[in-house]
Amino acid sequence: MTDAKTLAYINMYAVLGSLENLCELDPKASALVSDIKPISIGFEVKDGPCATITFKNGRCRMEQGVNECDVKLPFSSCEKFNGLIDGTVTPIPSKGFLHIKFLLDKFTKLTDMLSAYMRPSEEDLKDEEFFNLSTTLLFYTITVAISQIGNHDEIGKFSASHIIDGDVKMSIKGGPASTIHCKNGHLVTIKKAPENPRSIMEFGSMQLANDLFNGKVSAMAQIGEGTIGMFGMINMIDNVNRILDRVGLYLA
Amino acid sequence: MANFKINQYDKSRELFARATKVIPSGVYGHLGPAEGNFIPVSAWPFFSEKAKGTYFWDVDGNRFIDYMCAYGPNIMGYNDPDVDKAAMAQAKLENCTTSPSYKMVELAELMVDTVNTADWAFFAKNGNDVTTLAIMAARNATHKKKIIFVNGFYHGVSAVVQKIDYPGILPEDVANNLYVDWNDFDALEKLVAENDGEIAAFISTPYLHGNYFDNVLPADGYWQKVRNLCTEKGIVLIVDDVRAGFRLDTAGSDHYYGFEADMICFCKAIANGWNVSCLCGKDFLRDAVAGMSYTGSYWMSAVPFAAGIANITKMRELNLPSILLDKGKKLCDGLKEAGKNNGFDLVVSGEPSLFYLRIANDDTMMLHQAWIAECVKRGVFFAGHHNHFINYALSDADIKETLEIADEAFKVVKKEHPEAF
Repeated sequence: MTDAKTLAYINMYAVLGSLENLCELDPKASALVSDIKPISIGFEVKDGPCATITFKNGRCRMEQGVNECDVKLPFSSCEKFNGLIDGTVTPIPSKGFLHIKFLLDKFTKLTDMLSAYMRPSEEDLKDEEFFNLSTTLLFYTITVAISQIGNHDEIGKFSASHIIDGDVKMSIKGGPASTIHCKNGHLVTIKKAPENPRSIMEFGSMQLANDLFNGKVSAMAQIGEGTIGMFGMINMIDNVNRILDRVGLYLA
Repeated sequence: MANFKINQYDKSRELFARATKVIPSGVYGHLGPAEGNFIPVSAWPFFSEKAKGTYFWDVDGNRFIDYMCAYGPNIMGYNDPDVDKAAMAQAKLENCTTSPSYKMVELAELMVDTVNTADWAFFAKNGNDVTTLAIMAARNATHKKKIIFVNGFYHGVSAVVQKIDYPGILPEDVANNLYVDWNDFDALEKLVAENDGEIAAFISTPYLHGNYFDNVLPADGYWQKVRNLCTEKGIVLIVDDVRAGFRLDTAGSDHYYGFEADMICFCKAIANGWNVSCLCGKDFLRDAVAGMSYTGSYWMSAVPFAAGIANITKMRELNLPSILLDKGKKLCDGLKEAGKNNGFDLVVSGEPSLFYLRIANDDTMMLHQAWIAECVKRGVFFAGHHNHFINYALSDADIKETLEIADEAFKVVKKEHPEAF
């Protein structure tokens, strides 16, 4: 019901891509990369995604391609790259051996921090600051994963093909917002609210969003309660929700 | 400005809280707040208490002029005295019994006499029962596996008529489903050529009355060309008349549009809310249906048969479809006029007895949703993104009240969204 290529795109843009938000929102993460010489790591996946993550002045940015990277990590397949994310594959750089220390030290610390937010313990979630950041990072990861599934997963592509052109706003009241931009069935997630959404899906609170992400409450019942608001071109949201159903299959 | 009472729904909400504890999603399916597109949910009632004629009352005592008609079954008016009298009389005799009631034969004879394409009638309970049966029967008759659907379709909830991205559906469930756009005969012809000798059936509603978009009537000559193609290629032509049946033509919507289906599916309006569905078909498909393993515990219950006989008889005597079309036209013309007077471009599509509404001032439908909600809050039950239904009990006074509420709702929305005007 899932495929390695789609998972690789999710791992690249939704999971590793969340490092951008981690460094932006968590001062400890930002501090880890604030006093270093700028460094960029390229992930080149055969028959899969290619992107470069650059750390500079305490911030992180992901861009398409691997042409300008200091360290290049090649992967012979999507499965191998997915192994990096689940910890079963150790990458060997094809370029930038001198920067291996950054990979083993600070980069690993950052990804460990990200994992802690993505798969939080109940104890950690009792801390309000941690809870909010964890929920925010999960939100960005999920909204980016929607586009990757809509563009690569066979069933997701069917759903995406039924989304009319325009912007879907997904948001948490008092929290983060994302745009799912759709054009001819191709989806792009932008991690900020659209100016002119054609449809809106808003979760009523950070608590509700977290409970939904962790399967503690029923989305359908919450729609009835009015704590999940849906407005505008509902057929866009309907199809985004069908893709959203598949996010759990990949990120479980 | 507010001349009409604004509904409160305290008891509905209390019941919904109870419901979510014991029923998945509280109210599932099209009658619920999620699939029913209650936007915002605060404007809608969730549970009813009683119904009569064209009205239902919710558990908070709010009365609604109901333009959804239970999503179609209420065609004569809730609790129609003639239909209910027949049902109650039958209930005193028998209902669900070991040998089926003779009422089944009488209703089958009436269906065959009423429905233009019918040489036989097979009864079940829901629309899905008979759309699924029609597809299986077409495969049984032709020994072919592929089915052509029209994009935007809804033919029920069986796996074969759902879509690949729906929860619980496997790719294998829909692997033999082909899709074509409505009214695009050239594309249909091409699809048939590409799958020559493999297509069992083409299934479609008589016109495109899907949700979320304007409903589209058949282009001139479309159905006649489809009929000829199906005949030429040995493809069974199935019309899903579950939604439109008896609101356009008691002889079937295929008859209304000037062609003959091989099988036609009815449900909603057969018995004015008493639960029975029916597949009618031509002689050459009789044995294909007879040989199938297809039945249900309540499919031969006598009370809905008796209700169906009374209802169909009354519909024929009244020539009900023409009355419903007239009532629908009167309402739709008034709604468009009220919209125009307030600066709204209200698009009405589909047939007037099953009218579909859309405010076209913006490309988000948010103005439309706001207007629908304001109408519902004042006691006119419209749906945001589904076609509506006219029933016989709807009076001129009801239409007048509806138009007054619609006008007030337009004014409220205009005041609250000055940026749109």
